[in-house]
Amino acid sequence: MPSADSPAGQNRQQAFLAGARACISLAPGILLFGMVCGAAAAGAGLTPGQSFALSWMVFAGSSQIVATQLFSVGAPAWVIVLTGWVVNLRFMMYSATLAQQFRGTSRFERWLAGYLLTDQAFAVTLARVLDGRKDIPWFYLGIAATLWLLWQVANLGGIFLGARVPADWSMDFVVALTFIGVLAPLLRDRAMAAAAVSGGLTSVFLVLPLKLNLMAAALIGAAVGIAMETGMHLARRKE
Amino acid sequence: MAEIAIWGVIAALGLATFATRLSFLALLGEGELPLWLRRILHYVPPAILAAIIAPQILAGAPGLAATLDGPRTAAAIAGFAVAYLTRSTFATIAIGMAVLWGLTLLR
Repeated sequence: MPSADSPAGQNRQQAFLAGARACISLAPGILLFGMVCGAAAAGAGLTPGQSFALSWMVFAGSSQIVATQLFSVGAPAWVIVLTGWVVNLRFMMYSATLAQQFRGTSRFERWLAGYLLTDQAFAVTLARVLDGRKDIPWFYLGIAATLWLLWQVANLGGIFLGARVPADWSMDFVVALTFIGVLAPLLRDRAMAAAAVSGGLTSVFLVLPLKLNLMAAALIGAAVGIAMETGMHLARRKE
Repeated sequence: MAEIAIWGVIAALGLATFATRLSFLALLGEGELPLWLRRILHYVPPAILAAIIAPQILAGAPGLAATLDGPRTAAAIAGFAVAYLTRSTFATIAIGMAVLWGLTLLR
């Protein structure tokens, strides 16, 4: 590894800092979401240690919330792990795309990049890749590590402050609003909207044993989305 | 759930998630996801996010007789409009909670 004073080291440092700076506009949303996750975990009866373990071991907001909710309704262990993991399967897509950018980097860099992988770090880095920049790995590590730090601080804040919020403030609804904030920008076409609507309807009307409702909603929603995409594709071909 | 089982769930979910993140970066080597898998992964997030949101705007438990809670439904719609237009989590939560508190006080 080149020292920080060599030209290569300076480039890395600059790329890392540029990545860290790219977090600034994301910070308010991340901090709020992280506090919601920490407060939800502590509110569901997990100890502060367990709540924080969710934050640094799982390190994915939606999955942490899913696990938290399933803990609080007494779902079996395997259902919590399976459902929480399905929410995170999208990371495989990101991993495949990033791997091309991390060609030739050290094993340490690639494992670190994997551990730190999130939607936001991936999205911002991908935009830079499409801009044709060459300093991708260390830019990515800069944004991803900064987001990690913000996330842990926010979760800790939520774990310790969440218990002090009075119950009649309906703060549980902040979870729903946070997810609405994540969901709305995803609905770019009719197939994505169909997946969301069918997933939502499934979870409202279908009650399954073992709290498998969310798994069912994910599968039915994905199936409807794919069917809709295929239908749109065929309709376009006919024109 | 027993203390030790909770730790087991957190560790298992953490390791499964870590393995998913590492998949192409460090474990499998470079490669392409098959198209069918990419399509499934593309549609799972909106489906599961909506599945988490929807029961929270109900007046009671999910089921065939489910009914909507007025203030929560209005707050969710307001939040969705703000999220769609501004893409700001902060504004979504602020406006949504303001609508919920306002309507709850009026009721």
